[in-house]
Amino acid sequence: MMKRLCLSLFVIVAVSAAAARGPLRPALLFAQQPQQQDEFIPIDQLPPQDQLPAAPLLVTAYSFVVLALFAYLISVARRLGVVQRELDRLQSDARRGRT
Amino acid sequence: MPKWFLPLAIVCGLMFAVAPILIANAPYESTMGLVQKIFYVHLPSALIFLLAAVVCGVASVRYLFGGNPRHDRIAWAAAELVVLFGIITLVTGPLWARKAWGVWWQWDVRLTASLMGWMVAVAYLLLRKYGGPGSDKLAAGLALFGMANVPFIYISVNYWRTIHPTTNVLPTLPVSMGFPVWFTFATFFLLFILLLRMRVRLEEQRAQLDALYLSVDA
Repeated sequence: MMKRLCLSLFVIVAVSAAAARGPLRPALLFAQQPQQQDEFIPIDQLPPQDQLPAAPLLVTAYSFVVLALFAYLISVARRLGVVQRELDRLQSDARRGRT
Repeated sequence: MPKWFLPLAIVCGLMFAVAPILIANAPYESTMGLVQKIFYVHLPSALIFLLAAVVCGVASVRYLFGGNPRHDRIAWAAAELVVLFGIITLVTGPLWARKAWGVWWQWDVRLTASLMGWMVAVAYLLLRKYGGPGSDKLAAGLALFGMANVPFIYISVNYWRTIHPTTNVLPTLPVSMGFPVWFTFATFFLLFILLLRMRVRLEEQRAQLDALYLSVDA
């Protein structure tokens, strides 16, 4: 009986402690958060440390386009050259074989 | 190469030289500023990516039902261009999004479907390279899925919630921004025609080479 009473008391104390600590945690978290802005701020009016520079992204995009197209063009031209050389060699071999 | 190839290549080269001037002179978009200029290569490459997927799909259908090897060569050439213009679209898009949306990527329907379409084209090329005999028909079947994905990519932004702009943006652009984008599209389109012709020529020569080897062996 005594054991059961102690257990009930322990459970009540534990639940009460958790309930008492519960609301404190969000309050503490809220206090740690930076101050919220309540209206839209245009990107060019943000502080410099929050702004992402556009120029590197733009330069990367255009460089990638030019490099990708150029690389593909070179790749097709090289493959065409290899096949053409092999064709020429085979045709000349065939001609020599005939004569 | 056909007679039209060289004049078209010269015109395309000149257009590539003029396009950056038009893009530089286009006005800044009011909210995104400088980074919005990625739009002038992102949108044309995306349209050519979809066009190449359609060309690959149509040529594959004709090859499956007609058996003409020329259609197979066109499909193979177009699949490479799907990969090329697809990677341009998938790289320039996130570079723009990082600044405009604050994230590199969103798993929304258009972006995910575009990535899927690109991966189908990569799968097509891998199948052609390593698939062995019969891979041409199998790859042609795969290209149909790539083509079926195209309308889905295009209209998805109008039906599903996304932060990607809808298809209404292009027709409502002012001339000062619309002209450079259509000019760049025309340049990319000419380049697509030229690259497609070059790539088909490569396959024609390979077929000629195979025939020559067979005749030598015989």
